[in-house]
Amino acid sequence: MLQAHSFLWHYLWLAPHVLQLGLGIVIWQRRWYKRFPIFFVYIIFECVEEFTLYTMDVVPFGSDALFWGVFRVGLIIEGLLKIALIAELFRHLVSQWPAVAMLGNRLISGFGVILVVFAALIAAYSPVDNPQFTIVSRVHVLEQTFYIVQCGLILFLFSFGAYYKLSWEHRAFGIAVGFGVVACEHMAAWAIMASGAMLDKRHLLDLLNMATYHLCVLIWCYYLLVPQKKATTSAVALPENNLAMWNRELERLLQR
Amino acid sequence: MNLAIVLVVAAAIALGIILRLAVTQTLQTRGSVELNGAIRPIDIEAFRNLINPAEDHYLRRNLPPPQFRMLRRERLRAMAAYVRVVSNNAGVLVRIGETALASGDAQLAEAAGQLVNDALLLRRNTTVALARIYLALAWPYSEFAAVRVVERYEHVSGAAMLLGRLQNPGVAVRLSALR
Repeated sequence: MLQAHSFLWHYLWLAPHVLQLGLGIVIWQRRWYKRFPIFFVYIIFECVEEFTLYTMDVVPFGSDALFWGVFRVGLIIEGLLKIALIAELFRHLVSQWPAVAMLGNRLISGFGVILVVFAALIAAYSPVDNPQFTIVSRVHVLEQTFYIVQCGLILFLFSFGAYYKLSWEHRAFGIAVGFGVVACEHMAAWAIMASGAMLDKRHLLDLLNMATYHLCVLIWCYYLLVPQKKATTSAVALPENNLAMWNRELERLLQR
Repeated sequence: MNLAIVLVVAAAIALGIILRLAVTQTLQTRGSVELNGAIRPIDIEAFRNLINPAEDHYLRRNLPPPQFRMLRRERLRAMAAYVRVVSNNAGVLVRIGETALASGDAQLAEAAGQLVNDALLLRRNTTVALARIYLALAWPYSEFAAVRVVERYEHVSGAAMLLGRLQNPGVAVRLSALR
């Protein structure tokens, strides 16, 4: 059951991407790609990449080196798309509020640079976990590097929003939560793989990664397809106080 | 392996924080968080007196240095307490303004938008002001003025009053305690 090429393994590799493809069709039909263009490109790219890799794995053609080469190229494009997607989510969060938009852009850019340097330093100190097949080791380290940056940026995104009490748009929030969960789990899993630990149980980490990604796609489906419950706007009013006191305050305000 | 353990722990902590913030955000969106009682009135005159540089100069001239440093630090701690309340109130006003934004009324939405933007600016200013206060605690002779925080707070009070009046013309809004 928990082995490579088991039914569960096939299901976890294919199902999230089939769901993602369906989600892409819905996004296209409802024209949501205008609001989330990078997310749309990302999910289509992810489907193409994963279906290609699955076919290369199940119907073996070419060498192992070709498989890992395609994997590596896909990983780099996917990583860059994810970083662009985080920027898109951040824009959704702050673009309405000029008071924090510029500060936020500067902070997230600065934090991003720090994360890249930090991740590069960690990559430099990571051991080669598979000396016979170094391309696999390099891919593991590259995955670890990308996920450190993504995890840090998503954490920043949520912290910034929470500090300034900013409200998330329903769909953007769902996309961010899905990414947050997958980025944290993948960072931990790829760090273990890149360190060379659990050499004989790597398939378990693969299954964990695939299951988490499946969960992430389900989160996206929920937030994108289930309508948001309307908040009770009339119930939240400003605090009531004595009218005479308020008038005096207002007078004092006008006198200044 | 040690590096991997550090990264796994960091990932677990990051996941915990993200999920906690996500749950808080969901509760806020559904209106489960009580906002009405969250605003704490501020004695603006006392705050203004506390940040007045003339008061500091007077104390500096008339007190021996050790006593001045002690008093200045106490004043800075009181100032920090005020600024923290201002920051909290600004956060509550952001939530109130964002809720009012969804009302559908154009005039209300405009006032709410103005309130949110002003409150965000105030929250940003309080962060800088707090950092400067903590710096001044280490170096009590440094010049420090939180006048902008007070001015911005009064501006936000005005925006909140306007929104409160539009939301409910029959009741009053007060964010500052009276003398």
